[in-house]
Amino acid sequence: MNDTITAEIARYATAVRAACADLPGPDRELLLEDLEDHLQEVAAEAGGPLSERLGRPEAYAAELRASAGLPAPGAGAVGAAGRRGRRRLRDSRAARGLAGLGAAVAGHPAGRAVAGFLPELRPAWWVLRGYLAVQAVAVAMTPLLSGGGFSFPVPRLFGSALLGLLATAVAVAGSVWLGRRGPGGTGRRVLLLAGNAALAVVAVAMLVELGGSEASGDLYRPDQVLTFAGPISGLRSDGEEISNIFPFDAQGRPLADVYLVDQDGDPVVATHYGNEYLEPTIPLDGNGDEVANRSPQVQHEVDAAGRRQPGPTPEFRPPPGPLRSP
Amino acid sequence: MDTTQLLKGVLDLAVLAVVGDRDGYGYDVVRRLRAAGLEEVGDASVYGTLRRLYAGGHLTSYVVPSEEGPHRKYYAINEAGRAQLAASTGTWRSFTDAMDKLLGSGEEEAA
Repeated sequence: MNDTITAEIARYATAVRAACADLPGPDRELLLEDLEDHLQEVAAEAGGPLSERLGRPEAYAAELRASAGLPAPGAGAVGAAGRRGRRRLRDSRAARGLAGLGAAVAGHPAGRAVAGFLPELRPAWWVLRGYLAVQAVAVAMTPLLSGGGFSFPVPRLFGSALLGLLATAVAVAGSVWLGRRGPGGTGRRVLLLAGNAALAVVAVAMLVELGGSEASGDLYRPDQVLTFAGPISGLRSDGEEISNIFPFDAQGRPLADVYLVDQDGDPVVATHYGNEYLEPTIPLDGNGDEVANRSPQVQHEVDAAGRRQPGPTPEFRPPPGPLRSP
Repeated sequence: MDTTQLLKGVLDLAVLAVVGDRDGYGYDVVRRLRAAGLEEVGDASVYGTLRRLYAGGHLTSYVVPSEEGPHRKYYAINEAGRAQLAASTGTWRSFTDAMDKLLGSGEEEAA
């Protein structure tokens, strides 16, 4: 048997199993126990693609279920074995309503088309489920340690994106393994269902969180880094506030009464507010307007006794001359 | 008339008859049904029917190790299966007799 055929058999069998994944464990095991053996016999005898001889995997699964007396996926019960499997569900009135709705949806051609397509989405959900599980753990750990919390798209564990990535890989593998193994007995089925529902809630919460941070702009986006720096007033150098400018001449002597203007001739005003211990004194011109761009500004320090006195002038050692162009 | 629709009603009887004749595994039963002339019988239908008859207590099963291929699950008829086979055979005979008479007289009238 060559590899192509083996792979085709595995693919076909996986699809059939996926289409039977909703059956109770014992029913499913009995139904599918020699599926691969059957496919091998067909492949060995017939030649050509399996689906040519057996139909699509979903159709094969549907035929298998119907002839075994098991319910079709999402439809009402068929036969004795089907009634057995559904008895638990039928106990509640709400479940009866749901089953009716399910039957109505399954009865409509569009409903059947969608229902037939749903099993194909399962593998995608398995992968997403692994990722969501890691995000859920990362968020749950936030109160315990700093550096946790929601991080998109790569979850952070203990503040590490690498750890988050590794955990995601492991979780996705585990989730796919769980999915391919099928839900198993009733206990595990209920547990799986609850876990899936919880992770679906995590997914919704994540979307809401993402939407929120997108709107307020605190989501990291490389193209926004340069433009987002909060409200800016005055001058900054390397992001640090410049509260005063002290011009010096080539000999290192401080200059007084220098007026600074930018490339448009507009006054350049240093950040003269918000400095905790320097009190700015801004001179007024003949009209009583502030002259904010005269450098240096005279700034006053408030000493321990509450007295105001001019602040210190920084020292400046001019570079050794003569200066030349490189 | 669509043979697959007819088959649905009598597949239990056909499978019981084949297994009652001689023990068989799934694909062997498919082959024997086809060889007997029921060529439109679906593989999955036969497998599903075997499972249902087994679950319903009309068949027993045992595994036979095979040297070249996979281990095979053989089905054998038991007492309940034989009783079912006999009862269904009776029903089938009276049904086909009635249908034969109906169709036979219909043909004569038409002729």
